[in-house]
Amino acid sequence: MYTLTGVTKNYRKRRETIEALRGVDLDIADGEWLVVQGRTGGGKSTLLQILGGLDRPTRGTVTFDGRDLTSLPESTVTRVRAASIGFMFQAFNLIPTLTAAENVEAALVPLGVKVEQRRAQVAGALDSVGLGDRARHLPSELSGGQQQRVGIARALVKQPKVLLADEPTGNLDEDTRDEIISLLERLWREQHLTLVLVTHDTAIVERAPRVAEIRNGCLSIRQDTGTQPS
Amino acid sequence: MFLLLYLRRELRRRLRQTVVIALGLAVGIGLVVTITAATAGVRNAQAAVLHALYGIGTDITITMEPPPPPKPGSPQASDFGLTPGAKDQQLDLLGLPPGLGLLDEASVASVARLRGVTAAAGGLSLVDQKLTVPSAASLGPGGKPPASAFPTTSTVDGVDLTHPHLGPFASAQVGSGRSLTATDAGSNVAAVDSSYAATKGLTVGSTIIIGYTKFSVVGIVRQPRGGGSSDIYIPLARAQALAKFKGLANLNDKVDTIYVAAANASTIDAVQKEIATLLPSATVTSSASLANAVTGSLAGAASLANQLGRWLAIVALIAAFAVASLLTVAAVARRVREFGTLKALGWRSSRVVAQVMSESIVTGILGAVAGVAMAFGGVSVINTLAPTLSATVAQNPGSAPPQNVSLNDSGMHRQVAQGATHTVAVHMTAPVTVTAIVLAIILAIAGGLIAGSFGGWRAARLRPVEALGRVE
Repeated sequence: MYTLTGVTKNYRKRRETIEALRGVDLDIADGEWLVVQGRTGGGKSTLLQILGGLDRPTRGTVTFDGRDLTSLPESTVTRVRAASIGFMFQAFNLIPTLTAAENVEAALVPLGVKVEQRRAQVAGALDSVGLGDRARHLPSELSGGQQQRVGIARALVKQPKVLLADEPTGNLDEDTRDEIISLLERLWREQHLTLVLVTHDTAIVERAPRVAEIRNGCLSIRQDTGTQPS
Repeated sequence: MFLLLYLRRELRRRLRQTVVIALGLAVGIGLVVTITAATAGVRNAQAAVLHALYGIGTDITITMEPPPPPKPGSPQASDFGLTPGAKDQQLDLLGLPPGLGLLDEASVASVARLRGVTAAAGGLSLVDQKLTVPSAASLGPGGKPPASAFPTTSTVDGVDLTHPHLGPFASAQVGSGRSLTATDAGSNVAAVDSSYAATKGLTVGSTIIIGYTKFSVVGIVRQPRGGGSSDIYIPLARAQALAKFKGLANLNDKVDTIYVAAANASTIDAVQKEIATLLPSATVTSSASLANAVTGSLAGAASLANQLGRWLAIVALIAAFAVASLLTVAAVARRVREFGTLKALGWRSSRVVAQVMSESIVTGILGAVAGVAMAFGGVSVINTLAPTLSATVAQNPGSAPPQNVSLNDSGMHRQVAQGATHTVAVHMTAPVTVTAIVLAIILAIAGGLIAGSFGGWRAARLRPVEALGRVE
């Protein structure tokens, strides 16, 4: 799925150059569940953004499904992102004026899916996260866990190849966190997703087959059980 | 359509901001339309005055500077050469008012042949004075004349009946009887102004005396508001035959004004120059240059509308656009994470920009609707509160100021030409035209587009990675 070779990302902050990633080499297989751990500011989110085509590395290559994201024009990367990459955010990032169903629908808009098919897909996605009866609710009318479920439905409604999640349980209480982790695990198994999660959460780390750690911009694999979805 | 759904939801969510921006645009638009209407009202008032004086179809008038006045005490100092005799003398003197010179009637034909001229007509503005010159014996101590010595005057226009659509008579509306026609050219017939007729008790069929000659009143006419300087209209040929001036027995083949109609408004300047070349000593005046000669509160209103009003509207419009742009950019800044999320979902920048632009355009349309409503309110206030304006213009462009006529050396002085300048009162109404409303809508949408462009530019530059990293 992904092959990262010598990926380095530098940021300019005032007059200082910060190396967020230093020569990262990483392979992520189809259907793999990888958790990336590390301290705040260690480069986890930067890695996720580069994997999602939201940012480009200063040096190195990122191959996704056989295509080098670093050399593709922005419009092509946007199309790849629209079709194949799902995002989950710590703060859910739902559009506050849109209902749960409309938020999920927003992910299908760039794909040009017809309205009827779009609505059917949205209903299916909300059902799969257990929110079929909350389709017309605004985000403000949903709990944190429900909002994150909407976030999951939005990420998965287009049936992406990979789901990238940035601290998906960071804003949730313990019970809700377990619910979300179980849901993600179930979807990973059922849909044969490639799942890349950036998290501090040890509960997630314990359930993930493969765990990488970023320290000072350098990535190392800490745990690899080789478990694949059954 | 998802874009419309999103648009509706966002406008409703940011209702207060939408209302503020729309109101800002509305104030600017309302001012522009109101001032445009007020300017049009002033222009219409000017046109009403000018057309009433010179005829609806007249684009250019040609007059001649008068000959220099005779020196006091010279044999020609008296216009009429009158000397008190042994008996009272009844006089009916038809002559030119002071301040006007004469043009040859042949010039009318020459002007009519110029390129860009569709018609030219001559006119002769005369003053008919009826007075009694007292006998030397009836003069009081110190030569003071009796009251009967003071003349009564009537203004008489000689009308070129081959071109009835040109000149002051063109604006006259027949109240009773009939108008003058080409077949009246050699007849002693007259059309009388309704006010004059009322004062003198004249009706159709009455007889009046002009220059010792009986004329039959065939029509009572009424000039539109602000116009109609003449009391009596008679055929030009009859006026020429009866009038006397500076020792001339008559004014055959003479006119004092030539009224010219140009092919269209854009050719007026060129025609004016051609006439100036053809008749270098004549004064050539167009409606535009005449408008500059208008004085009085109408001129003040025109100046106010054209200068202060225009700038006020421009400043208000720029301020409205600037406020709308700043608020839109600020709104985009507040929605950075939202737009970043959409980009992360695969929305192209152009789609995000379209979202921002469409929100701004809808706000602009709301501003246009509110602005037009405000404009109608503003215009209604103007129409209710606007005072009656006065306009003072030269009766005949190029004429000299009023002069006194000296009746011999007896000390009798009387200003004969009351009409060398003409003051009229007009009530200004500010019309809201379809053009002004269309302009308002275009301006408001342009304001929305400008504001949306700034917001869209900000949204397009937004990098999703920065947007998603932002904590709100």
